[in-house]
Amino acid sequence: MNSTMLTIGKVAASAQVTADSIRYYEREGLIKPASKSKSGYRLYTDEAIRRIAFIKQAQQCGFSLADVRELLELRSTDKACCDDIYRVSVEKKLQLERKIKALNVMSQALSRLIEMCSHDRKSLAACPILGALEAGHAKDHGKAVKARSRQREAR
Amino acid sequence: MKIVIEVFSAPVCSKCAQAQLALKAVTEELGEKHFIWRDVNVLADIDRAVELGVIAPPSLAIDGELVFAALPSPERLRKELAQRLARTASPFPSSS
Repeated sequence: MNSTMLTIGKVAASAQVTADSIRYYEREGLIKPASKSKSGYRLYTDEAIRRIAFIKQAQQCGFSLADVRELLELRSTDKACCDDIYRVSVEKKLQLERKIKALNVMSQALSRLIEMCSHDRKSLAACPILGALEAGHAKDHGKAVKARSRQREAR
Repeated sequence: MKIVIEVFSAPVCSKCAQAQLALKAVTEELGEKHFIWRDVNVLADIDRAVELGVIAPPSLAIDGELVFAALPSPERLRKELAQRLARTASPFPSSS
């Protein structure tokens, strides 16, 4: 065996991931073995360890594996430049901010529900949180019925 | 009332800067007095960008509505602005 070649176990240990993660990255097209041994074991170079570190770091910044694939493709594309990476990063930042905003709205809605609770051990039927959720459902259902009715009238 | 145009772009995008010049020329052609032009750095004003639904800069919003998710050609912007100007100069003025 070539001394520069590493087994999946060694790569996993060096990159601090599991061998299953490496196989998953391979299925996702993010990494591939440099060769295979005579017995069919995957063999990697040091580049695999650097690539896995890149993947992990990118994931910590919120990039999905699909994003990471795009970044890796850009990295190996001659025509790409740092503007392309910058663009992908700005788009990801916008996406994260959108999620944060949506999560804040959800959190505020939950705060309002939590404030309704008087902690006086009522029966479930009298639970103000369940009641508010039911009322919300009824409101949405009413809107849907009206919308369907308007659609029928328009036909 | 003036039409507000907001162009959301990333600060180092040289292509955006060139495209914006061509688009700004459209407002000059239609009469600068009708428009308020705002260059918005998406990173500096990310809340506004998220509020209007900007997904990928450069994008262009008109009167608080994201009308072009990508920068339009000068022709498309001219058409859109001309329609809006025609609406503001409506032949049916309010009775008040």
